[in-house]
Amino acid sequence: MSDRHIVKSYDRDLEAIQALIMKMGGLVEAAILEAAQSLENRDEELAEKVRKGDKSIDALEERVNEEAARLLALRQPSAGDLRTVLTVMKIGANLERIGDYAKNMAKRTGVLVQMTPIEGSAGAIRRMAMAVEAMLKDALDAYIQRDPELAQDVRLRDHEVDQMYNALFREFLTFMMEDPRNITACMHLHFIAKNIERMGDHVTSISEQVIYLVTGEMPEDDRPKADRTAVDVPGF
Amino acid sequence: MYDNPLMKRDAVTKEVKISARGCQVFYGDTHAIKDVDVDIEDKTVTAFIGPSGCGKSTFLRCLNRMNDTIDICRVEGTITLDGEDIYDPKVDPVQLRAKVGMVFQKPNPFPKSIYDNVAYGPKIHGMARTRAELDEIVERALRRGALWDEVKDRLDAPGTGLSGGQQQRLCIARAVATEPEVLLMDEPCSALDPIATAQVEELIDELREQYSVVIVTHSMQQAARVSQKTAFFHLGNLVEFGETGQIFTNPHDPRTESYITGRIG
Repeated sequence: MSDRHIVKSYDRDLEAIQALIMKMGGLVEAAILEAAQSLENRDEELAEKVRKGDKSIDALEERVNEEAARLLALRQPSAGDLRTVLTVMKIGANLERIGDYAKNMAKRTGVLVQMTPIEGSAGAIRRMAMAVEAMLKDALDAYIQRDPELAQDVRLRDHEVDQMYNALFREFLTFMMEDPRNITACMHLHFIAKNIERMGDHVTSISEQVIYLVTGEMPEDDRPKADRTAVDVPGF
Repeated sequence: MYDNPLMKRDAVTKEVKISARGCQVFYGDTHAIKDVDVDIEDKTVTAFIGPSGCGKSTFLRCLNRMNDTIDICRVEGTITLDGEDIYDPKVDPVQLRAKVGMVFQKPNPFPKSIYDNVAYGPKIHGMARTRAELDEIVERALRRGALWDEVKDRLDAPGTGLSGGQQQRLCIARAVATEPEVLLMDEPCSALDPIATAQVEELIDELREQYSVVIVTHSMQQAARVSQKTAFFHLGNLVEFGETGQIFTNPHDPRTESYITGRIG
């Protein structure tokens, strides 16, 4: 809907709140990549930056919620405008959560740099993080362009992230069984992988919000779930 | 444990009270209503919304033949009440209007006492044989109009001496005194303050238990608050008619969306 509101300040309010979301999205994307990078390069300084940066993401989410509450109270939005405000609040919450996971990755990186690296793991985690970051970027593009097809595409790609997580889960299990001295590092790495897998779920939820925003309906089909680690117990 | 569901607002499909098919209205050469088909359900509040001049009031006035009073007005198509054509020459418009009551934008009490305002309709329709019966009808109507407690000690005072909100509720009491089956309301709150508006809205919600209510309103929020079904009119066409929740969260027609979100349509 490209038509402008008769009351121009209404458009400005709606644009402002969406600009906040995009700003948040940019910060979160950077946090994901930098968290993975700090792990791979054993860069304690970059990890510290990610940990500190989470505060501004949280602050932005709070502003999104305040602006959304104000808009609801003062403008009583309906139809597409209402869905915009509702989705902005949910996407804000998803982004904030992804930011928390990135922060947690950076925290664990701080511990992992003190230990012997587990071979190949950091690279695999970075690839997984890059996949999620690319999904997030597309989900946010789908949001700005109101593109439900791109959103649906992102939604289906979460499958790949789940599979990467499954593979890493097995790998860490093998490392731990081979040598119990790997357990501490592998536990941290596993939590990191799990964090990224959860990020993917939040990106999926953002995509679903985009579909709701544009079509007025949540996607009904179940998307494929590939995280089977809670069902299948590999290696035993 | 029992779930605590939200207050039920869905329009469960009910019996159709008024049905319009291929309704057209002309004022001289002006084509005011174009081929409108609509089913108005019993015990449901139906809201008509749309920009000024879209025909919503004109259509509302067709439902109790108020347009008969306008010489140049011509109505085509069929409108039925409980399956009977209300434009049938055998139908007496006065009897029809007793069944299909109306409340107008500006409170318009008769220059009579509060009591006589309400008693007028029942008297001319011979609904009461004794004064006691009439008293009962007046009290019941005023109670239903949520006005009884405020006026019971001064029923002989002139109706015009009440406040605007009270006058409007008096008009509603007057409209329900003849035990109508349908109540048409043309912008009933536009001259009222927010408190009186809330009282009238609460009243509309109560009336829904017994009547089919059709309300024309310029306040989209009011339509959203009081109605179960909403019809959007634009340039004489019925653009969209559906469940109120759906119209206000996910309208199907872009013209509806433009109008309710305050965009230039």
